[in-house]
Amino acid sequence: MNVLVPKTLAETVFGLALPHRKMEDWRWTDLRQLIDKPYPPHQKVTASAQDIDRLVKSSPFAKMAGARMVFVNGHLSPRHSQLARENVATRLGSDEPVLQMNRAFATDGAHLKISGTTDMPIELLFLATRAEARTVATHNVIEVEQGASATIIETHIGEGSYLANSVTEIRLGEAARLDRVKVELEDEDAFHLAHANVTLGSSSALNDFTLTSGAGVNRQNSTVEFHGQNIDAKVSGAFMLGGKQHADTRLVIDHQQPHCSSRELFKCVMDNHARGIFQGKVMVRKHAQKTDGKQSSHALLLSETAEFDAKPELEIFADDVVCGHGATSGDLNHDHLFYLMSRGIPEADAKSLLIAAFVGEAFDVVVNENIREALAAFSNAWLTRRRRAR
Amino acid sequence: MLEIKNLHVKLTKEERVIINGLNLTVNAGEVHAIMGPNGSGKSTLSYVLSGREGYEVTAGSVTYKDEDLLAKSATDRAAKGVFLAFQYPIEIPGVATMQFLKVALNSQRKARGEKEMSTPDFMRYVKERAAKLNIGPDMLKRSINVGFSGGEKKRAEILQMAVLEPSLCILDETDSGLDIDALRVVADGVNTLRSPDRAMIVITHYQRLLDYIVPDFVHVLSKGQIVKSGDKSLAFELEAKGYAEYAGAAA
Repeated sequence: MNVLVPKTLAETVFGLALPHRKMEDWRWTDLRQLIDKPYPPHQKVTASAQDIDRLVKSSPFAKMAGARMVFVNGHLSPRHSQLARENVATRLGSDEPVLQMNRAFATDGAHLKISGTTDMPIELLFLATRAEARTVATHNVIEVEQGASATIIETHIGEGSYLANSVTEIRLGEAARLDRVKVELEDEDAFHLAHANVTLGSSSALNDFTLTSGAGVNRQNSTVEFHGQNIDAKVSGAFMLGGKQHADTRLVIDHQQPHCSSRELFKCVMDNHARGIFQGKVMVRKHAQKTDGKQSSHALLLSETAEFDAKPELEIFADDVVCGHGATSGDLNHDHLFYLMSRGIPEADAKSLLIAAFVGEAFDVVVNENIREALAAFSNAWLTRRRRAR
Repeated sequence: MLEIKNLHVKLTKEERVIINGLNLTVNAGEVHAIMGPNGSGKSTLSYVLSGREGYEVTAGSVTYKDEDLLAKSATDRAAKGVFLAFQYPIEIPGVATMQFLKVALNSQRKARGEKEMSTPDFMRYVKERAAKLNIGPDMLKRSINVGFSGGEKKRAEILQMAVLEPSLCILDETDSGLDIDALRVVADGVNTLRSPDRAMIVITHYQRLLDYIVPDFVHVLSKGQIVKSGDKSLAFELEAKGYAEYAGAAA
């Protein structure tokens, strides 16, 4: 951050430099412009039991069996949680702006060590209740030990105007397996700034899915590092955005070792004035021969004023690899629409069917059927709300 | 049932006129074959009747069951019993065939003020019809037409027709891309649906299909007009002589 720009009020309060448009990775999401008021950290907020219960119940996974850890306004609520914090230390060192902010402001987070195989999904639920505008920062460290496997859901839900800063650090040991699902449903008045770092050991497998449908401004930065050979990583995501929502996902797939494969599929739906951004980078280092990497992002624009920007990047230093990327953007296919209507399906229903089908393709990465069904139910509810708003 | 009078149609985005004064009357129980060379307007006619966007009716009228068909949306036409079996059925990834059939049937029933069919009843109803067309449960689970062979796609179209039970069936080049066995299965499916209160318009380039689906009337379409009508013997005549005689007919 060596560009000289005068400090904003928010920065003076934060005591940190905010990323801005002159930084290449942040060109679409200028936090200096977007953060219009100070969001003081470390604020003590009292939440009513009813508010907490309502938010807990509003999780798409509320009815699903599993173990939960619930964080209310940045602090673990033992009353709502079946799991306790374990002793796993952070290893992250990076100058990523969201991480810097998190280092200064994080109050709590899930620290989990997974050994053995758990069939039951673990849901980490992060809630922000209605209160004064503030920063709520959490830092999770999840270690899946050698040969262990787990399904972990991260759900972010809130009400009111706040800035959620979420860092998740994941380490997979040799032959470990993680199915990770993140669902971001923050208030449309809120910010969601996230950083995820995943390191993968030899022969490990990652299935990662993120649904982005909340927050006025969402910025998610993820890095997946391949530290061993024979790793299989699938990273998918879906945007379901409307109003004036802004979501910027930056994903770096970092192939450091040979014989690994990576698949990325992002399906982004934008309505009204929403704007989606996908910056996907696949890096294949010199040593990472026989890498098989594919990335694709597809956008569906439901209004004339919706926007999507894609910045796919391949940076390949090895000479024996198969890598590719593709990005498309468009509106609903008129032939598909006519076909459904010619069978008697009303136009609005036909559109909803097609949108659900489009976005649903990204859900396929999720292995657990109950989670996939919960995601499909969320997507249908989103489409119903969209139609009612018309 | 259907009365097309002096129909003129052009593409919305181009000046080119495709249907140029077409007249046709189809009564309940009748099967009409429309034959003609490529570019004579056969497929356009099927799209205009089923309500596809992109065409502009500049003159004439289409009356269906005493109502102005052209004023209705594609959805409403389907609910009123118009069905188009596509020449090239559309592949729609992510929408399972079974789910699609259920939504379509229940949408139509709802539009007609009928009770929606329950899931168990519907499953039975579809499986019965699917079995007759050699369509197994596996095909019904797959996305609409995705990964279907040419023959499977055409059988799936006929299954939709059997499920939706339309009054006016328009079959657009249903024989194209079918080998003789597949053609027989499809034709049997169509013949099963022949009934005194249902009419069919069979659009085809070749006489071959008409050996299996025997029409009551045959019309020759050329340059957007019907230039000759007759009984099924006209189809044999066309097969023997070709369309050369009609190439300049409407000019």
